Amino acid sequence: MQYNVTVIGSGPGGYVAAIRCAQLGFKTAIIEKYDTLGGTCLNVGCIPSKALLDSSEHVHNAKTHFAEHGIDIAPPKVNFEQMIRRKSEVVKSNVDGIAFLMKKNKIDVHTGVGSFVDKNTIRVSGKGKETVITTEKVIIATGSKPTPLPFAPFDKKRIISSTEALELKEIPKHLIVIGGGVIGMELGSVYARIGSKVTVVEFLDSLIPTMDGTMGKELLKVTKKLGMDFYLGHKVTALQNTGKEVIVKASSKDGKTVELKGDYCLVSIGRRPYTEGLGLDTVGVELAKGQVKVDDHLKTNIDNIYAIGDVVRGAMLAHKAEEEGVFVAERLAGQKPHVNYLLIPGVVYTWPEVASVGYTEEQLKSNGRAYKVGSFPYKALGRARASMDTDGLVKILADKLTDEILGVHIIGARAADMIAAGVTAMEFRASAEDVARISHAHPTYMEAVKEACLAATANRPLHL
Amino acid sequence: MGIQVKVPAVGESISEVTIANWLKQDGDAVKVDEVIAELESDKATFELTAQNEGILKIVHQKGDTVPIGEVICEIEPNGKAGVSKPSAPAKEESKPSKQETEAPAASSSGKLTGAVKEMKVPAVGESITEVTISAWLKKDGDIVRLDEVIAEVESDKATFELPAEANGILRIVAKEKDALPIGGLICRIEVMEGVPAGTSGKGAAAATPAASAEGTDKSYAAGHPSPAAAKIIEEKGLTPGQVQGSGVGGRITKDDAQKAQTGQQKPVESRGQAPAPSGPPVISNGQSRSERREKMSSLRRTIARRLVSVKNETAMLTTFNEVDMKPVMDLRGRYKDKFKEKYGVGLGFMSFFTKAVCAALKEFPSVNASLDKDEVIYHDYCDISIAVSTPRGLVVPVIRNADKLSFDQIESEVVRLATRGRDGKLSIEEMTGGTFSITNGGVFGSMLSTPILNPPQSAILGMHNIVERPVVKNGEVVVRPVMYLALSYDHRIIDGRESVSFLVRVKEMLEDPGRLILGI
Repeated sequence: MQYNVTVIGSGPGGYVAAIRCAQLGFKTAIIEKYDTLGGTCLNVGCIPSKALLDSSEHVHNAKTHFAEHGIDIAPPKVNFEQMIRRKSEVVKSNVDGIAFLMKKNKIDVHTGVGSFVDKNTIRVSGKGKETVITTEKVIIATGSKPTPLPFAPFDKKRIISSTEALELKEIPKHLIVIGGGVIGMELGSVYARIGSKVTVVEFLDSLIPTMDGTMGKELLKVTKKLGMDFYLGHKVTALQNTGKEVIVKASSKDGKTVELKGDYCLVSIGRRPYTEGLGLDTVGVELAKGQVKVDDHLKTNIDNIYAIGDVVRGAMLAHKAEEEGVFVAERLAGQKPHVNYLLIPGVVYTWPEVASVGYTEEQLKSNGRAYKVGSFPYKALGRARASMDTDGLVKILADKLTDEILGVHIIGARAADMIAAGVTAMEFRASAEDVARISHAHPTYMEAVKEACLAATANRPLHL
Repeated sequence: MGIQVKVPAVGESISEVTIANWLKQDGDAVKVDEVIAELESDKATFELTAQNEGILKIVHQKGDTVPIGEVICEIEPNGKAGVSKPSAPAKEESKPSKQETEAPAASSSGKLTGAVKEMKVPAVGESITEVTISAWLKKDGDIVRLDEVIAEVESDKATFELPAEANGILRIVAKEKDALPIGGLICRIEVMEGVPAGTSGKGAAAATPAASAEGTDKSYAAGHPSPAAAKIIEEKGLTPGQVQGSGVGGRITKDDAQKAQTGQQKPVESRGQAPAPSGPPVISNGQSRSERREKMSSLRRTIARRLVSVKNETAMLTTFNEVDMKPVMDLRGRYKDKFKEKYGVGLGFMSFFTKAVCAALKEFPSVNASLDKDEVIYHDYCDISIAVSTPRGLVVPVIRNADKLSFDQIESEVVRLATRGRDGKLSIEEMTGGTFSITNGGVFGSMLSTPILNPPQSAILGMHNIVERPVVKNGEVVVRPVMYLALSYDHRIIDGRESVSFLVRVKEMLEDPGRLILGI
């Protein structure tokens, strides 16, 4: 079979690239190792974790807020099996949707492991079936896999990655989470809300360390209220599955050691690019630190081979991969699109959510940029009080001289949806005062963004 | 004696705060601006920062509720600068809380002195009487710094950059496309002291500290394309600088990008005079039949005036010949790699033609001469002008003492001048004083042309494309790469015998490059 473009990997980067290629008139194929399309994001990542996050949020509300709202119910019980089943149904309807989109766009789906024979030939090894396809261009979109601790590989029983954490058969009594980044905090808070005791061990001194410092601090405060325990600045030295429990040993910088016992340990210390079985060395595609090396146009050192998403440099985010997928497809069609990496938003789906775009305060400081800060707490927001979501704040960073918005950082209810407004404003290089002068509907959470912009532009919030 | 730290006034309606957390312990050493505690009011959380360096003495414990103004801790300054942080910018005096000091920071650091610097058109060259402002790089009201380039100015010979003559606020007098005489007023600068450190110098914010941001916008975001516009602009091969933004603050909208013309110029606003409605009635078949009027640039006007005067004031005619390029091409094919390796510049045809022309000029000095009223000026050197096509129009930089240069020196010089020409960087000196010109219409595919003289020179050689043609050699028809040559000359000082012989000599040397070496 002969194609113009072949995409390896059907995650959000890969399938979006394939659709855009097809829209542009390329004869397109997509290769997927697993039986279902959608990659990590749809099968064992963003979508299923959000399904469980919402379920756990309902439990939490029923337990803690209903009575205050004036809804008296018997103490709610968690039917965990049903919770997992509903999650699986959500996943199924999403991956079926991708299969439909492939069909609609006349994209050939080849199931199996794709590996290069030469730079224009790919062998797809499926279950008892081998297909060889030839292609003019290739887009590698094979994504990433959870990184294990070097001394304690995933046994998938008690030492688990995010994948297993979405498929547990029981609610852990004590879940120990190693790594206080995005994945650890999201899944940790899910189980904390449905009744697990959750302890987070993080090597650095703050949570979600890549984001603005204020966000990590606020998140710590909120999740502590939820009953989560934290050992920040602790390095895990040992992790053992004794069969019935896991034992985690960690030591702080001043040498004090702690020993934690739990029934499950989620290792969420990061993800690494996945290129196994691709046969990159047969065609000579260069790697750097495990990532596929690409130039500014996401082209590898081999002329017709491109790579996008988690497998290349940059943030491991579905929406970053999607932008890159569209970018490469349009480049192949001779168009000249852009990806503005500074303005790819980062989101943590805890509740409250955390979302940010642009520079962090720490980055501005180290860049020596003259900036000003405006922030506004959810507490002072009518909408937040009405719905009892008063945790959180909006923080706006703006250029001291020009008032141009340089960073938007939100922790609070709906932050993930609200950040889009920040991205739009920054794409058009709006000033804090511009946003402050734009009408925001009342009562909404977005009013906090407007107020924070008022605070940033001339320290004149109206409701503080 | 410790310095007392009191609960800052954090908001109008707030009378007390709760100490949510001490981030430093009693007895800890703290630094200036370091966050030592978190305070909570019923509306928000605040950070309490240390105002001086020293040892912390806690007065109120975590969980205590403390009224505004009450002392919550003391910081005992310690004599030794053990924990000092020299780089920490010691912010102005007392600083109640981070929140309060960060925000009202938009005030300016520059101060108007009241003086006004008038910038006038400088004398840029002997024969230049007027210039045109081709582009303002700064906007009216922008803050400019001394020596910062604020405008591009074009004369009929060159384009040059106009640097600011003072620090201050720019007040534009002459508009873009205006023609100004030497000494004419271009702009004024309201001189400021201590112009802001903001690198770009943009942003009128400093001039109008607390004013609205609209003014500010205009400067920093002007020319910023929207995401869709950015894509369109790049696909048209333009840069955002070549597109006029019509959006808020000069931002470039998608529509601006779609309407942008490829080919340098920003969209021109018609100046008053409506286009005469003289054309035939418009046949509406869906195709655009719009016209646009554009003022001729000063460079173009000069070219036009001079070309017409050459036609009128000289007795110009053209003689032709043809050259079999095979020997030169063979020689070049044989050595071009070695040449490139040794000299780092490609071996082109220009060096052969220049060398041949210089040798022939020595034999026929009248071709290298110029006429000054009733006198003929003979030159014993060869300064060869080469015509270069640039986005701004034709320019003719000069290879000095071409007769004394080696092949590689000529090639390097051609590359240097052509690059500077394309970048609009040629100086007037580099374009004046040639004694003979070479123009190569062949690069555009011209078979034959009659070049026009470059006054006050008396002759110009036209090169053309090389085409395989049947020619007769020793009684046989063979295929050879042939170039037609044209020599236009001023018959007032050059006779037919000299001009024709000159061109034949050039032909002979090119067809047998060995003669170039031997001078025969």
